[in-house]
Amino acid sequence: MRERASSWIAKGEPVQQNGHQLYEELGELARFVEKAMRTISEISAPIVSGSAGLPMASSHLVDLNKMTEEGTLEVMRLTEKIQDNRGRVVKELAAVAETLKAVDCTTLSMRVQSVAADLAQDDKCLTEIMTALSFQDLVAQRVKKLVAILDDVRDKLVELVVVFGIPHDADGIAATGKTGEMLKQLEESKTTSMKQNVADDILAQYGFK
Amino acid sequence: MPADLNMKILVVDDMATMRRIVKNILKQLGFANVEEAENGQEGLQKLRADTFGFVVSDWNMPVMTGIDMLRAIRADDKLRTIPVLMVTAEAQQANLVEAIQAGVSNYIVKPFTAETMQEKLGKIFK
Repeated sequence: MRERASSWIAKGEPVQQNGHQLYEELGELARFVEKAMRTISEISAPIVSGSAGLPMASSHLVDLNKMTEEGTLEVMRLTEKIQDNRGRVVKELAAVAETLKAVDCTTLSMRVQSVAADLAQDDKCLTEIMTALSFQDLVAQRVKKLVAILDDVRDKLVELVVVFGIPHDADGIAATGKTGEMLKQLEESKTTSMKQNVADDILAQYGFK
Repeated sequence: MPADLNMKILVVDDMATMRRIVKNILKQLGFANVEEAENGQEGLQKLRADTFGFVVSDWNMPVMTGIDMLRAIRADDKLRTIPVLMVTAEAQQANLVEAIQAGVSNYIVKPFTAETMQEKLGKIFK
């Protein structure tokens, strides 16, 4: 605007006309500032309440992690108890089978051995139950990343409210800086993570056999 | 060299559930002498204080990551020969290459099965 005023003066236009144009420009500027202030005040309230709600969201996610961990550990405890009990039963049955064999009760001995073999087959299922519970670790890692993203977004929102410079492009917040990087990592872990067979192929290329 | 069932194994993971799963699988495979550490730094301290024959480690851990612990193990004259198996959700190809360059003995992608663990142990201790 200063440049435009200088330009009018330089062109030697009448002062009255320049003053009128300057007045119009200032009016336009005042209307723009007023509109911007109104927009900021309208947006500030939801941002403040949103940023206030984010710690609660983070807290819920942390609780979710704790709950899945507690539940998983309890299932593990019970599975291990069953594994230990079965281990003892199988040993006992083997001893009984040997004793029966020694006293010439071959048929009974074979039936006991058969029961022991059936029990042994279930061991694999119990081990699979244990390994299937590794979902908790994978969920926990994703949740931790989400909590970090939420914390970062909250910090940014608070900062925006404080400095009163709210960006119009909400996507811009997520696409830049630490938050953007974390979202990218989260997305990458979902879409480009390897399966074991791919890892094995790469290991083979490096001489792992 | 076949695996010695009495050797001391160190499982390093910040998640209690994962340590328990790995420990359970190792137990099913006949390895009962298993110790645990919650991060790379604690793992290194335990490795330096005792004699271990094998390390199973996660990648992402607070204080010291698994890859940093692996580098420290390979840089330590006393520990450099200990086989290190990484069991991790860090499943980007770049991570695997980084682990290979750091001297990993083998690599398992989470989630995994007991068979995968057994197969990798067989390859490391053949």
